[in-house]
Amino acid sequence: MNSLNLFLQFLANGVVTGAAYVLVAIGLTLIFGILNVVNFAHGEFYMLGGYAAVTASAVLGFPLIPTLVVTVVFLAAFGMAAEWLVFRPISGRDPNNAIIASFGLSILLQNGALVVFGAQPQTWKTDLAELPVQLGPVFLTGQRVLIVLITVVLVAALLLVLRYTWTGRALRAMAQHPVIAQISGVNVRKVAVVTFAIASALSGIAGALMSSVFMVQPTSGAMLVMKAFTVVILGGMGSIGGTVLAGLGLGTVEAMVSGYVGNEIRDMIGFLLVILMLLVRPRGLFGQSTERS
Amino acid sequence: MKRIMFCRWLVSLLAAAAVPFASAQTADPVKVGVMLPLTGPAALAGTSILEGIRFAADEANAKGGVNGRQVQLFIEDDEGSSTKGVTAVRKLIESDKVVAISGTYVSAVALAASKVSKEHKVPMVSAGSTASSVTSANSAGDPWFFRAFPGTDEQAEQSARDIVKKLNAKKVVIIRENSIYGSSLTDQMKRMVPSFGGEIVGVESYNPDERDFYSVLTRIRARGPDAIYVAGLMDAGVQIIRQSREVGMKTQIVGSGSMMSDKLIELAGPASEGFAVSSMFEPSTPNRFGQAFARAFRGKFKKEPDVYSALGYDSMHLIIEAARRTKKVDGSAIQAALKSMNNVPLTQGPEGTVAKFDAQGSVSFKVGLAIVRHGKREWLPFD
Repeated sequence: MNSLNLFLQFLANGVVTGAAYVLVAIGLTLIFGILNVVNFAHGEFYMLGGYAAVTASAVLGFPLIPTLVVTVVFLAAFGMAAEWLVFRPISGRDPNNAIIASFGLSILLQNGALVVFGAQPQTWKTDLAELPVQLGPVFLTGQRVLIVLITVVLVAALLLVLRYTWTGRALRAMAQHPVIAQISGVNVRKVAVVTFAIASALSGIAGALMSSVFMVQPTSGAMLVMKAFTVVILGGMGSIGGTVLAGLGLGTVEAMVSGYVGNEIRDMIGFLLVILMLLVRPRGLFGQSTERS
Repeated sequence: MKRIMFCRWLVSLLAAAAVPFASAQTADPVKVGVMLPLTGPAALAGTSILEGIRFAADEANAKGGVNGRQVQLFIEDDEGSSTKGVTAVRKLIESDKVVAISGTYVSAVALAASKVSKEHKVPMVSAGSTASSVTSANSAGDPWFFRAFPGTDEQAEQSARDIVKKLNAKKVVIIRENSIYGSSLTDQMKRMVPSFGGEIVGVESYNPDERDFYSVLTRIRARGPDAIYVAGLMDAGVQIIRQSREVGMKTQIVGSGSMMSDKLIELAGPASEGFAVSSMFEPSTPNRFGQAFARAFRGKFKKEPDVYSALGYDSMHLIIEAARRTKKVDGSAIQAALKSMNNVPLTQGPEGTVAKFDAQGSVSFKVGLAIVRHGKREWLPFD
């Protein structure tokens, strides 16, 4: 096998993992950019998405599309509930409270999943997961291709919603200047609920799709949320374009590092990049300056 | 004065009341500690091992326990972390006052915890930790950490022989977990594969929570090995098996002992066909003591036992057997009884395997090889 083929395979691997990073990180950056909440429980939304898909397909016997629909509905509702029960009561206080609360929520959900689903890894069995796809020298599976396609569709849909709908305008207004947005008639509570629902659903879809590739376990989200934070910081807090670019970039860099250098330093590289970014350009690639008047 | 008399009367009355109580107390339970990863990445193995441990304790209690005293288990979750493990072992010894400990599964945790148990003279019997370095850390002739099955040195030697001689693979790539378990297997493989006439053409490592092996496997594919040896735990094994088939490899994969689980076949699906794993126990074992255990286990749980339940069973069974051979049931007496044991059968290994610990506290027997065929592991005969 020549070196170009090897490179193309690494690139494809990177794009697939990068696509999952993008879906998770977009939710994180929305929640931060709009509500100024740093949500450490975001990885658990991803993990719950995996379990929602496993349950819908294995227990209820749903095929692919209905399983994804169930996952989206369940996770959107779950995101709303989390906002209502945990983050709304402490909003307006010291932002550190929300960080600690999200940590607590994360541990609660991990251990809750352990009690309900057990420690055994589970997998969402789809026909696509076993379907080999060969694009020239690159080997993939149907499921991996699907992750990239769904990410493209969802990001495009999200950008359209933010650009052209009233809700989207309200979300952007909140991100730009919450006080003025409120004065102009934006319903802060509704924005918060919608943000959490969208963010949680995106993360849940990523978790569902990845559960057939990497399996799902109660701790599945723990490392992923750190990766998502890496992506958000690299891309710039609150920037969707930056998140997409940084997510695909991180996935690709990781794939190249584990392919050409060594798998054991793969997880280090992202955090190294974060430290460098914070030193050189603290607001990230496309971040707005976070100072507000 | 009258008041004092009354008090004396009261005291003697209480003492009289306490006497029948005290005689019942002579049959107070034998306290045995269990520490295992019941949450965290190694929880899957930990919970299966616990089943075997509980099964052994229940079986012994139904037969009169330790010379008439019931065995009482104190179970601690070490989460597969050394820090938690040291806390767990301290709690078991200092607060629960256990006389022996069955545990644990993760080798690094066993190494950390065994230092504490040695200090307090409470013997530990491994419930799955395989790294040879844990028993090597014992002072020769005075082990406090016992392992009733071969360590990584022997397991890797046997696997190296099987890979080169039985599977006829000459070029071998190792994928290893970044842990004591993974590195001690790998070190021994590097020594042994060349000695049987094979060649190690690459070593790749991964962190225990790694799930994506596409890039690593792509790189390995370019080297064209005859076999891949995976030194790690089951969940990573599943990913490596599945993903190697996805990237179009048909290379023979051989797993270390912790991958001997039906769950692996279920999760990896058809990709697991042909997968070979070094195996100390199968329900179809030729070992008659193992067969009896498998029958009883099946009767109680309505499922097949696996290597984890066998590991747990042997560990607890040995502690109870050792306690039965002591007059005063305490840590030092149990250690002495374990050291002098030579006829207690083990469920694992070939027919007639007994727990006979060497000076380092390890037991030696032949490790077998099983190959997945038609969705089931087939055990190749011990040679």
